[in-house]
Amino acid sequence: MGSQMLPLELIDKCVGSRIWVIMKGDKEFSGTLLGFDDFVNMVLEDVIELCDTTWLIRLRMQSTNNNASDYTGARSKLPKILLNGNNICMVHSIALSYGQKSNS
Amino acid sequence: MADNDQSNSVSEPLDLVRLSLDEVVFVKLRGDRELKGRLHAYDSHCNIVLGEVEETIYTIEEDDEGEETVKTTKKQAEMLFVRGESFVLISPQPPS
Amino acid sequence: MSEQSPQPNGDAATDGDARDPSGFLSEIIGAPVTVKLNSGVVYKGDLQSVDGYMNIALERAKEYVDGEMKRNYGDAFVRGNNVMYIAADM
Repeated sequence: MGSQMLPLELIDKCVGSRIWVIMKGDKEFSGTLLGFDDFVNMVLEDVIELCDTTWLIRLRMQSTNNNASDYTGARSKLPKILLNGNNICMVHSIALSYGQKSNS
Repeated sequence: MADNDQSNSVSEPLDLVRLSLDEVVFVKLRGDRELKGRLHAYDSHCNIVLGEVEETIYTIEEDDEGEETVKTTKKQAEMLFVRGESFVLISPQPPS
Repeated sequence: MSEQSPQPNGDAATDGDARDPSGFLSEIIGAPVTVKLNSGVVYKGDLQSVDGYMNIALERAKEYVDGEMKRNYGDAFVRGNNVMYIAADM
């Protein structure tokens, strides 16, 4: 089948659901995606900001079965934000998050 | 843009810069530098021209005992062109 | 509207639950916000306006470094390329 999905279509599918945003550097955000634009600037709701994720990244490299609850660094909660798309590195749906294995 | 009745209001962020023309402004640069001077000109990239400028540079110095202190260096300039991408913030009033 | 804005300001975004950021932005104009820069410096103040580059005009802006209040500005223009996020204070 020639059914290709464009990158922005993938993000569009996440609107309304909880996503994980990994920034360039040592910062990550998790929140409900309310909207985004062509630059992938994002409006997120009920956001958790993880400030220093180097430790989390190290954990992920060691094991495939861990999740963000292992994170011990500074975190803050934000009700609603507009996140600049400029420094976004990777986005994934929480449903595919670490520690939740699907039967394949 | 040509709405004359809006010329004193801030409807887009650069209006704040426009309203500061010919006034003394405070500019915060990347790399712990600050400028204070009269705003002569700006453009859409936020390149700016300042006159009668005082630049303050903050550096951290380590003395013999390994104690870190913040050192400030001041420089004067008659006229300065500042490239837009090198600054973080402009404020029409000096900070308190 | 002669100016060009890289951010889509579509009319579709005028309803309550907008799917692009312009709806959120018009929602928080005039409201207290927190602006975090890539450097980690935080500005809190009332949002006067934002443009498509995420340049921001703040009123009653306060500067926080490492969570500590450092400075008070009356008005402040923050250049968009330094902005990591704008958060609505609630």
